[in-house]
Amino acid sequence: MVVLREGMCPGLDEDLLRDLRAADIKTVEDLVSSDIEGLAQKCSVSYKALFAIRRVLLAQHTAFPVSGADLYEELLSSTAILSTGNPSLDKLLDSGLYTGEITELSGGPGSGKSQVCFGVAVHISYQLKQSVIYIDTTGGLAASRLLQMLQAETSNTEEQMEALQRIHVFRLFDVYALLDCLYSLRSGGLQQASVGGGSVKAVIVDSVSAVISPLLGGKQNEGMSLMIQVAGALKTMAKDFNVAALVTNHVTRSGSGEVQPGLGVSWSHIPRTRILLERVEKAAAVSQPKMSWSVMEAMTGQLVFQTFWMFT
Amino acid sequence: MAETGSQFKTAVAGPEGEGSVTVCASCQLLARLEARRCLKDIEPRLFPEDRGPDQGAVVELFGLEGTGKTELLYHLLCRCVLPEAAGGLEVDVVFVDTDYSLDMLHLVSILDSKLTLLAGADEAALRSCLSRLLFVHCYSSSQLLLTLHFLETTLSSRPALALILIDSISAFYWVDRCEGGASYTKQEEKLSRCAELLGRLLRDYRITVFATCHAIRRPGVPSSSSDSERSYLCRSWQRLVTHRLLCSRQEPGNNMAAEGGHDQEQRRQQIFTVHCTTFSSRVKVSWSSSFCVTEAGVAFLSASEENKCAARQ
Repeated sequence: MVVLREGMCPGLDEDLLRDLRAADIKTVEDLVSSDIEGLAQKCSVSYKALFAIRRVLLAQHTAFPVSGADLYEELLSSTAILSTGNPSLDKLLDSGLYTGEITELSGGPGSGKSQVCFGVAVHISYQLKQSVIYIDTTGGLAASRLLQMLQAETSNTEEQMEALQRIHVFRLFDVYALLDCLYSLRSGGLQQASVGGGSVKAVIVDSVSAVISPLLGGKQNEGMSLMIQVAGALKTMAKDFNVAALVTNHVTRSGSGEVQPGLGVSWSHIPRTRILLERVEKAAAVSQPKMSWSVMEAMTGQLVFQTFWMFT
Repeated sequence: MAETGSQFKTAVAGPEGEGSVTVCASCQLLARLEARRCLKDIEPRLFPEDRGPDQGAVVELFGLEGTGKTELLYHLLCRCVLPEAAGGLEVDVVFVDTDYSLDMLHLVSILDSKLTLLAGADEAALRSCLSRLLFVHCYSSSQLLLTLHFLETTLSSRPALALILIDSISAFYWVDRCEGGASYTKQEEKLSRCAELLGRLLRDYRITVFATCHAIRRPGVPSSSSDSERSYLCRSWQRLVTHRLLCSRQEPGNNMAAEGGHDQEQRRQQIFTVHCTTFSSRVKVSWSSSFCVTEAGVAFLSASEENKCAARQ
């Protein structure tokens, strides 16, 4: 709701505002929805002047239609597909993470969600030479692990440092800090992070359910509303700045006993692609230091990827 | 007619300089009188016989995630913007996007596959189809209300505009509920105003509206399935809806391995079901159809194929 204020548009002065408030018109929506004829008579102002004010306010606050052809041209030139560094995951994702979309990774504890996120961040910062924003809400990110992964890619310390510098980490532990962070990224933070390295191509939130699920349940609506606001902020950022958003989620058991991603039905409409990670135990799992990403897959148990539903 | 008559009267009686207002009123009058394309035959496999959406109809597509609602919307969109030679209706469409779910690249691939069947189709044909589509994105229900007001002028100036697609009408449900506080009226106020405005546009301009609505309850064991299918949006919206399409996804059968090696592709195809209900002369009529999603969009299954799939499960 946008409240009417003096000087919002030419012709909207203090006297007119007072008359409008007396006629119970306080917001732009009220003014636009009301009958201009009757209102002009009540506020003793000319029909033409009020009609002009209504038109200017409507033009200021409405969303403008874009032709489909222009939208398509814009998308063709700006959409990119980012490889995740893991060929089988890429195949599952139809060649990689799409910019402008939210991709969700869900799985139980210890199923490798954070490791996949580390792998994606390292791949994008080292191979693709682009910046990554990593929002850590669980405290599970350790720079030493990122360095370990980079050391498996290259032994040149300078390149390792450069790649590490392109990963920008934000540590926050509640949903308001997350919303603050996302809004500040949208209003200039992304440009700042792009200085010095490549432009920001991915925003990883690990994990989004850790900050939202404590607020859900019960009779309060605030938790659901905050969840939808986080989704809206992520999507707008993904679309406006052409970044790929990757989020992680926990899992719960449905009524019939099968495993499903968490955060409920209202969140299920948000991500474009959802991946469920499961841990399949293999005999003789020997852990070795300095493992590369692909080797880890074979050693500590095969990570089985299942697509939940890739929907259009 | 009496309403437009009084509009003329006020405009003429006012002081000089009100001439421009008279012109606007007459344009609107003409735009309202001109007939918009009726979309009753938009998809005979989805709306058989005479049950298609008439002018002024509102069709709601309701379902859980991944049940094919947006896919159906793309299918209907393509049918509207394609040229008549390619099997389309050549009408303008407004796509109101509330949750950034329009996949333009997928839409273009569906259009492309339908246009290649047409001889002599090229880039220009694709561009002309896309130019019939108007896309607008709203980030809150207040902006949706203002945008619908703005669309009124677009409707007046484009007589070929016959369809508004809204994906989805339920995107602001939780945010509005939280903002409304404890009173249900305040929670539903914004969507009610949008619904009332839509109702007025439907009456005045004789357009059709298709809207998707996400389900917020999964059919679980304790509650009955009808609970999850019930509409949860405000009364004003529920009163507008004339056709309700419940979309669901059939789980792939477990006895597939027992079947022979033939139709491998069909075995892995996900089948979607649409259960349609509408009121025709006060009697509730309902029917079902099934479809699967291919590279070229939605492919409806014929009755025999439907029975085959049902028998398999």
